[in-house]
Amino acid sequence: MSGPSTHATDWYKDALFYQLHVKTFCDSDGDGVGDFRGLTSKLDYIRDLGVTCLWLLPMYPSPFRDDGYDIADYCSIHPAYGTMDDFRVFLDEVHARDMRVITELVVNHTSDQHQWFKEARSSREHPRRDWYVWSDTDDRYRGVRIIFTDTEQSNWAWDPGTKQYYWHRFFSHQPDLNYDNPAVQEEIWRAMRFWLDVGVDGFRVDAVPYLIERDGTSCENLPETHAVLKFLRRRLDEHYTGKVLLAEANQWPEDVRHYFGQDDEFHMAFHFPLMPRMFMALRLEDRKPLVEIVERTPAIPESCQWGIFLRNHDELTLEMVTDVERDFMYDEYARDPVARINVGIRRRLAPLLEGDRRRIELMNGMLMSLPGSPFLYYGDEIGMGDNIYLGDRNGVRTPMQWSGGWNGGFSSADPERLAQPVISNAVYGYQSVNVEAQRRTDHSLLNWTRRLIAARKSSPVFSRGSIVFLKPVNHRVLAFLRSLDREQVLVVCNLAGTAQAVQLDLKDYAGAVPIEMFGKSVFPRIGEAPYVLTLGPYDFFWFRLRRL
Amino acid sequence: MPQPSLLTDDLVQQLMAVGQVDILVGIPTLNNASTIGPVVRAVHLAFARYFQRERTVLINSDGGSEDGTPAIVRDLSLDEPDTLVVRHALRTTHRISAPYHGVPGKGSALRQIFAAADLLQARAVAVLDPDVTSVTPEWVRALVAPVVGDGFGFVAPVYARHPLDGPLVTQLVRPLLRAAYGLRLAEPQAAEFGCSGRFAADCVELDVWDTPLAQFGIDLWLTGRAIASGCRLCQAPLGPRTVATGTHRPGLSETFGQVVGSLFTLLGTQADTWLPRTGSDPLPVLGPPAPPPAEPARLDGERLLQSFGTNVRDLKSVLDAILVPETESALEAAALGQPADLRFPDDLWVATVYQFLAAHHQGVMRREHVTQALLPLYLARTGSFVLQHAGTDAASVDAALEALCLEFERAKPYLVQRWTGAPSR
Repeated sequence: MSGPSTHATDWYKDALFYQLHVKTFCDSDGDGVGDFRGLTSKLDYIRDLGVTCLWLLPMYPSPFRDDGYDIADYCSIHPAYGTMDDFRVFLDEVHARDMRVITELVVNHTSDQHQWFKEARSSREHPRRDWYVWSDTDDRYRGVRIIFTDTEQSNWAWDPGTKQYYWHRFFSHQPDLNYDNPAVQEEIWRAMRFWLDVGVDGFRVDAVPYLIERDGTSCENLPETHAVLKFLRRRLDEHYTGKVLLAEANQWPEDVRHYFGQDDEFHMAFHFPLMPRMFMALRLEDRKPLVEIVERTPAIPESCQWGIFLRNHDELTLEMVTDVERDFMYDEYARDPVARINVGIRRRLAPLLEGDRRRIELMNGMLMSLPGSPFLYYGDEIGMGDNIYLGDRNGVRTPMQWSGGWNGGFSSADPERLAQPVISNAVYGYQSVNVEAQRRTDHSLLNWTRRLIAARKSSPVFSRGSIVFLKPVNHRVLAFLRSLDREQVLVVCNLAGTAQAVQLDLKDYAGAVPIEMFGKSVFPRIGEAPYVLTLGPYDFFWFRLRRL
Repeated sequence: MPQPSLLTDDLVQQLMAVGQVDILVGIPTLNNASTIGPVVRAVHLAFARYFQRERTVLINSDGGSEDGTPAIVRDLSLDEPDTLVVRHALRTTHRISAPYHGVPGKGSALRQIFAAADLLQARAVAVLDPDVTSVTPEWVRALVAPVVGDGFGFVAPVYARHPLDGPLVTQLVRPLLRAAYGLRLAEPQAAEFGCSGRFAADCVELDVWDTPLAQFGIDLWLTGRAIASGCRLCQAPLGPRTVATGTHRPGLSETFGQVVGSLFTLLGTQADTWLPRTGSDPLPVLGPPAPPPAEPARLDGERLLQSFGTNVRDLKSVLDAILVPETESALEAAALGQPADLRFPDDLWVATVYQFLAAHHQGVMRREHVTQALLPLYLARTGSFVLQHAGTDAASVDAALEALCLEFERAKPYLVQRWTGAPSR
């Protein structure tokens, strides 16, 4: 077991995460499926980007009816991805590059092909029967919302063998585990321990609000669920240091706040409502939705951190928006109904922003400067496209485009054999959008992203500083100050597609000299009068305020 | 020499921050502190309910209020339960109050509002009266939606009123403008209206703003301008229009002089537009009509007629200069009877109005004297109409008003003849 050379226990607060799918990242053996050997060969690329932690989508044995989120065995590697030895080598190589790895931990449910469920459904008397949630009727927990609205009509599924219904919050082939049973809690802890001992640095814990069911409730965010999570965290703290638990709880900030507890549940949680509001603010050319959600976000314990992102492996979720906002987002970002799935939009960053480099940069600029640890989704650093016709959310999980060559450099297999087809259209296809081409161009999105990350990492103010919004009268301009000790950074973003002038009230910083953080250009000293800036379409500035 | 600015630097700064908008609602004010709050609330509710995605701004153009009206506009809280929806709007809510400069009056306020609309490239503009207590968010929708959604250039309101109410409109302004321009507008001089941003921008550049027409008859002028400019007109039912009690409004004599003076002046400046038109066409009415109030405002027909005889005698020298002998004789004959029996028939009223209008145009005497001399005749006509229709149902009164409009139309060739002929009796 190895570890990175940096040992701060709260490393995740300064981390820059990179989310990838082993299956579609790099195929080393030409079978059309990405694997750990392929991924290991690309670690220099990831490190050079400035990434400090990888988040792997599920790499466990699975029937792949939900792309690996239907786990059939928690303690081994899917054979298509390699062996445990391959994984150990990968882990060593990651740590040797001062990076870390978190893996997916799907705790709410298993695959119906998991041995536990096979035994549980074998008879009502089987000892594992109570590892899942059963009912004679399908009207218990009536009114609990259905998450996969496009495919599921009920949270109950009929098991003809034992003539009972089983509970599932996601697909019907993903039965929910019964966390009221202490044996289940212990078994999940054993699975966590297995991977922690192998050397992973933490887990992104999937679907955490749904662990416990109670009559008369929404079966979400229940106190009993928090008790289970506290149990897992307590065990983690008892045995390990420097590990991270990251919650996927697609809820309002005040509800997610409970998942941090008193620093006794999760170290991190995704800030889901922020993401759609960044897109909304951009389209509205109005900072209002973004500022409102950040100001509505409660404080979290000192050692905790938000995870923020623009896009990930799922749809651009619109669960945490109002009906009006959802309609707006659909109309503005998913006019093609095929792009809509469940309660969201299955598109990557670049197509969402119509390939507009200025908007892509602005959105990344905001992501890297708002409070929280940013998560990049593989391929977005080069502006990869998607294929909304692939079904489910597979369209945003297509092979990484490494070069303009065979299968985009992802695999030497015949194209027909690939786990997912590569994007090959004229705009986003691998012939035009690929790592190799962008490496050669200083002003490519890839190299620009690298410089952006470097600028972010040049100051801890972005990862640990406070935020105060300036709210100039021009609502098209988002301006905020990040402060940490004596360090202050002023961020100014033009959300509009037209040039904007803005007057900033910076008299509290009179005397400071703004130094633009990318080009190091010195701007006029701040005085008592409003500080006037002009910004081109979708421009943004990061200024370090220096007392010189 | 540099041109004076329509917008102050401070206002331009505020407008810069607002940027391009889709909808601008303007409210001209002067000492409206007691009534402005609900109007502002209604506007923001309209933005939040009906124009969630549009970029909006409310601009209050104030004529120097001393009762704190601008502060109320600026600081009005929208956090009450009934307006909480505003806080959940998609976009930033903009509200600006700025003093206007220039000739005191609504014209200068509107000019500033139109100039702001021009600068902000507003697609649609709506103007509301700050004294009206019956304003609802639906008013804003009704005035704006036809512009934004259907491409109309000017939206005139239709108020729900009893046909015996508003006699200056129903007896004179409405039928005269209908006959002149050939368009059946219910409220040609309404304080509330909607228009396109382009119409507003075009108006900014015109020469009307420093004239009495802008000061006293800007509502009428805008309607006339909309017709003359060829923009698409429609009407929008708003419901009852209730003005706050205690609101300072000029007396009848002053109002009559301002309205009729503006009306006649407008027709004088736009003769090329209306002279060739014959007949009349209906205008599209977008939205269901609101039911009128069951009871009309109280009008004492006999009292209106009481001084008719005296007035006709006293004004004889003036009427000699304005009216043809047949009309004057008919009026004198009508004035001889008892007020309760007096009748002022449609054809006589139409002939009287047309002869006054021609006299105003031809300048047979000071134009203020012409309009002042029409007032007692108008009162008599109104009194006669009220007496004739008291106790009849609203539909019957409506039919009588329609008959009056048709009489104005039928006699239009006579007006044209009087207008284009040499001044004569």
